Order: sequence, then C-alpha cells, then structure tokens
Amino acid sequence: MTNIMETAQLKQQLKQQIIQFLNLTDITADDIQDDKPLFGEGLGLDSIDSLELIVLLNRGYGIVIKDLKDGRKVLVDVNSMVDYIEKNRTK
Amino acid sequence: MLYIHQTSCISPQGTYPSPGAGVATAGITAPRRPVDNLLRAIEPSYEGIPGSILRRMSKSVKMGVGAALSLPGSAAPSRVLSPQGILIGTGNGGTEDSVKFLKQIIDYNEGLLTPGTFVQSTANAIASQIGLLQHNNGYNVTYVHRGLAFESALIDAAMLVNEHPGHSYLAGGVDEISDHHYRFEYSEGWYKKEDLSGKDLYTTDSPGSIAGEGAAMFILSGTPANAVAEVKGVLTLRSEDHPTIKAAIQLFLERHLPAGTLPDLLLSGENGDNRGLEGYELCEAMMAPDTTIARFKHLCGEYPTASAYALWLACNLPAVLPGHLVKWLPSKEKVYQTILIYNQYEFSQHSLILLERSL
Repeated sequence: MTNIMETAQLKQQLKQQIIQFLNLTDITADDIQDDKPLFGEGLGLDSIDSLELIVLLNRGYGIVIKDLKDGRKVLVDVNSMVDYIEKNRTK
Repeated sequence: MLYIHQTSCISPQGTYPSPGAGVATAGITAPRRPVDNLLRAIEPSYEGIPGSILRRMSKSVKMGVGAALSLPGSAAPSRVLSPQGILIGTGNGGTEDSVKFLKQIIDYNEGLLTPGTFVQSTANAIASQIGLLQHNNGYNVTYVHRGLAFESALIDAAMLVNEHPGHSYLAGGVDEISDHHYRFEYSEGWYKKEDLSGKDLYTTDSPGSIAGEGAAMFILSGTPANAVAEVKGVLTLRSEDHPTIKAAIQLFLERHLPAGTLPDLLLSGENGDNRGLEGYELCEAMMAPDTTIARFKHLCGEYPTASAYALWLACNLPAVLPGHLVKWLPSKEKVYQTILIYNQYEFSQHSLILLERSL
C-alpha cells in the first residue's frame, strides 16, 4: 500500500515538475494523464522538451541518461518516467 | 529612398492594434504612467504564435514576434506580405533569460543545462523566430549596437532598398526590461532614485530616467505608392563632444532638407536626465522658431531602441498633438510633414532620423 501511495505522490510531483520545467502555463497536473504520450498527439512536446526532461531527471532525481535509446524508452509517458525514476534515482 | 508602408508597436501604451481595428492611438491620447519608475509593455495575448512556441519565448522575443505578426497579412501561412529580409535592432536582446542561463551554470556547477533559456536569450532569437513563423528564409540580420541598434537596422534596410527598390523588408527595434539589468543600470545612475509618482519626468531636474521596453516593427520598401512616410535620412554618431554633434546635425539637415528649410516637428528623446539635457537643447536650438518640439520618453521609457517607438509615433501622430507631448508649440498651426527624431543613449550614442510623412 505504501509503495502505491509513494508512486502516486511521485507521479503528481513529476507532473508538476514537467509543467514548471516546460512552462506549460495553460494546463494543470490533473490534465496530464499517466498514460498520455508526452510527445506527438499527447502533450505535444518536441525534441527541445526532451532535453529539458533529461535535465529534469538529472536535477530532480540524480539520473543521468547517456544513451539516446534509453531516453526514448523513458520519455514515453508519466508512467514510464516514474517507473524509471523509481528504479534508478540516486536522490 | 526608403518608404514605410506598415507599422506596428507593442509598448507601455495602448499601441497594439485590436484585430480589425487598424492602428491603435489610445496610448497617445491617454498615456499610462510609470509604476515604480518602470514603464512595462502592455502585452497582447499573442494569438498568432502557437502555444508550444510561445511558452519558450522570452519577453523580448514575444514582443518582437507579436509586433511583427500583427502587421497586416504577415501571419503565416496565409500571409500576403512577404518581405525579402528581416532586420532587427536590439540593445540587450533577451537579457532576463541570459541571466537565468548564467545563473544555472553557477547553480549546477557547469553541469547539465536546460537549452530553452539559452536558445531564447540570444539577441538574434527575435529575427530568427519571426523568420521561422513567417516561413521567411531570406536575409535575416540582428544589430546589437546598444543605443544605435535600431538605426543600424534602418541603415541596412536603406542600403538593401537602394539595391533592390522593388523588395520589401521588415525592420524593427525590440528591448525588454530585465530586472537584473535594471539593477545594474540603476546602480550606475541611469535611472531615477526618487519616486516619480505624480511628477513630470521632464521637470525633475535630477540624474537618471525611467526604464521602458517595447517593440516597433516597420515594413519598408523603395516604392512610394501607399507609403505612410519616407525615411529621408538616418545618421548614427558616437561622441560626447558637443561641437562635433552640432556639426553632424547641421550637415545632416543640409544634406536631407531643401535649402533654407527645417523640420516641422522635432521629436526629442529627452528623458528627464538633467545630465543629458544640454545635448537635447543643442539640437532644439538648431530648429526654426516655428518648429514644434515634442518629447516621447514619458510614453515608452528609456531603452536602447526607444527610437523605434519614436519612429512608430512619428508615423502615427494625430493631426493635433496632445499637450503631454509638446515642449514648444509655435503660435502658428502646423501640419507635421517633416519630422526629425533626435535621440541619444547614455550621452554618447546619438541618432537622427528624418521622416517625411505622406499627408
């Protein structure tokens, strides 16, 4: 139960960080669905945003993504990012 | 021969045109006053800029792109107007984002940095974003000559038009108030220490001015048909020697005006700084007794490209000047056809723009 709560809190925190980092002023955390694609038809993010998200992971969670292939797998939606953060975070 | 065909302006006054309403002049008749000695621009909602792009833009980029896209027919993809080049002058570019980026370098010990603030903080982000949004891959240049940046863009446009009279060019001046930059310049004495609430900027008799910001854009070409005005001449000069400045103004007027004539109106960049007043009075003394003298810095504040606002104002002046603009009004009524804009920035950078309006 604790893990589920922690994951839910992490998702909420991450959504707020995404909004803040990417200056998504016209949406709230509630507007970002966990399984909604971050890029393309979902949130509509682009390649510059992917760099911002990699910096977010580094600053917020101490995660360094060195391989672009990893980045593509991680930056799919909030679920995939949270899953990666839980497994790889150093802070 | 350089003709102005269209103008647009985002400024601390109500100068941004409402959709379909033509040129806004409300800011000329009922001016907003500075708050905390700052005149911040009234920004529109920037409806022509996609949200995904807008959220990354610094204020200077937003104002520059917003003013450019408000020119009739300039919004891609349905634009009618397709300038062959984009020439922007900006003294400071996106200073606020530059400082954010520099702060990141320190805060994160030269580690992984976010690209957004870097991309948007470069001075040429304004012209390049206009180019991208207008699908314009022509000549794209940014001038950063501080208080002469806009005039340098105008001079380049004049040279381009001289080579290609049938081409049109988008030229403009853009600067933003950056809190960091304001503090630096405040400590150097360029802004007033006393609160200006309820006071007249021009009678404070103290050092410093008020800070301002804005973006003014112009469509220029070598074709006189349907032009708002003709830019008869532009001069830039760096000097603090009054005889040199006086000689340059004299030569400029002799070169660009018919013998024995002087401008109908002098639009002076006087900014309330009592240390620079002598320079402006030097130019005023060279005008004819029936030359009206007006000032504009109480409308836009002081910033490196304030002369772009002055040019917009000169193009859009009402037939009867509001009293707050006037410093000297001759008894005889005048039609303001030839207008001289004289501006100085931090005492050493001087510019003259001579305009002949189409009446």
